[in-house]
Amino acid sequence: MKDMIQRHLKCEKNKVNHFVLLPGDIERAKHISSHFFNSSIKISENREFHIYNGIYQNKPVAVCSTGIGCMSASVAIEELVNCGCQYFIRVGTCGALSPKVNIGDIIIVSGAVRGDGASKEYIPLAYPAVADHTMVNILKKEAEKKNIRYHAGIIRTHDAFYMESPFAFGDWKKRTKIWTETGVLGVENEASTLFVIGSLRKVKVGAVLVAVGHLLNRKKLRKENLQNSMDKAIIIACKTLVELQINKETYNG
Amino acid sequence: MGKIHHLQIKTGEIGDFVLLPEDPNRCENIAGQFQNPRLIAKNREYTTYTGKYKGLKVSVTSTGMGSPSAAIALEEIIKSGAKYCIRLGTSQKMQNYIKPGELIIPTAAVRQDGTSLEYAPIEFPAIADNTIVHALIAISRQKGLKSYEGIIMSNDTFYSDLSRLYLDSRKREKCWTDANVLSKDNESSALFTISYIRNIHLGSLLTATENLLNHKKVVTDKDEKRYYHLMTEICLEAFSKLNNSEKY
Repeated sequence: MKDMIQRHLKCEKNKVNHFVLLPGDIERAKHISSHFFNSSIKISENREFHIYNGIYQNKPVAVCSTGIGCMSASVAIEELVNCGCQYFIRVGTCGALSPKVNIGDIIIVSGAVRGDGASKEYIPLAYPAVADHTMVNILKKEAEKKNIRYHAGIIRTHDAFYMESPFAFGDWKKRTKIWTETGVLGVENEASTLFVIGSLRKVKVGAVLVAVGHLLNRKKLRKENLQNSMDKAIIIACKTLVELQINKETYNG
Repeated sequence: MGKIHHLQIKTGEIGDFVLLPEDPNRCENIAGQFQNPRLIAKNREYTTYTGKYKGLKVSVTSTGMGSPSAAIALEEIIKSGAKYCIRLGTSQKMQNYIKPGELIIPTAAVRQDGTSLEYAPIEFPAIADNTIVHALIAISRQKGLKSYEGIIMSNDTFYSDLSRLYLDSRKREKCWTDANVLSKDNESSALFTISYIRNIHLGSLLTATENLLNHKKVVTDKDEKRYYHLMTEICLEAFSKLNNSEKY
């Protein structure tokens, strides 16, 4: 299984560069490969999984879209690990849950509330969904170097996008209150499972998100402003993948 | 301003930087590594000393054993002004490759305790503060010491895991050993959960004194004392490093 063409991603062992960005959106994968990678080449395309290899600042990197939700994200990361990939950074959007966070802000994720279903099949809920500590540290340093303002902390991952949005039925504010009170910065759909699988399969996973809307004040980011913040998040993530390769010994000690 | 309920300390009597061992009897030795240590209070399992380290106001407060008493200690030192805390203590190793005297720097903890559940639902992650984790790693490397960084497990019992009366404990904990959990303690998961919610920086520095896989003690009491001395030194150096680096 591990040496064959992967069932869903349609890629093979060692054909995908081992340092991978994980956006949810197919279009964002294309954007990253065409605007940020040099010598970008499409490796495979099947369902919601589009994979590109490329070069960023002379180092091999890759991008693979995961689709929305932990179910498809778990398939993506499992098959990428089977292909030999070892370093992953999710780049995506989230809804802000904290009054500290403004729309357009960047969040470097240190851990995730496991409100998803996929990670429960791997291990009981008491097990923490924690980002790799080295990834968090480098992401923060790269943001600081570029003078990019960020928040670092816990976010919530869940499976039903519309249940924690103004479109939800019933009192969605009441449902999300506990997370605002416990200091959760935002809500999204993939990080917790990626972190749990990262810890179980001994690969490093991080996440950097852009707050695209705010659940408390209902503000929504304009498209051009989202692109601006997202490009910053992508740069921080790409720089982190490069730094991990330049100082590999330091981070594997 | 009166004294805070259980610790019997007043606001401002402890420093921004606090060490959190379990055992009140260790506090005197730990405070011995401060400059001008002063006994602040002694009540129940809580003993507090305050002193200086390289110009920083530092304190040590014992938490007692287990998350219920550790949570009280943490809440009360936060009330008194603590900003950066490191739990230092012992744990039971769950991986055979960890050798006596090697350090464990938890990045997060499995929440098998009861206390943290009253703070946040079980799916909330108990994570150590990244800045403290990295300060501890940096100082350990400077001293040439081997450390493991990763997930540990915290629960509310000691003998259910270590007594030979409960022989299925290895089977029960297999789920965690398979998931690369490094070792087990009784305080970290609650301390991590509360520190995030209360918005302070907290991490743990542990060593393994027993092996959960074969129920055997792996270090002597004399060695344990030596490890505490070393871990205190690492924590104090980490505090100094955190104070000198830019805070975010």
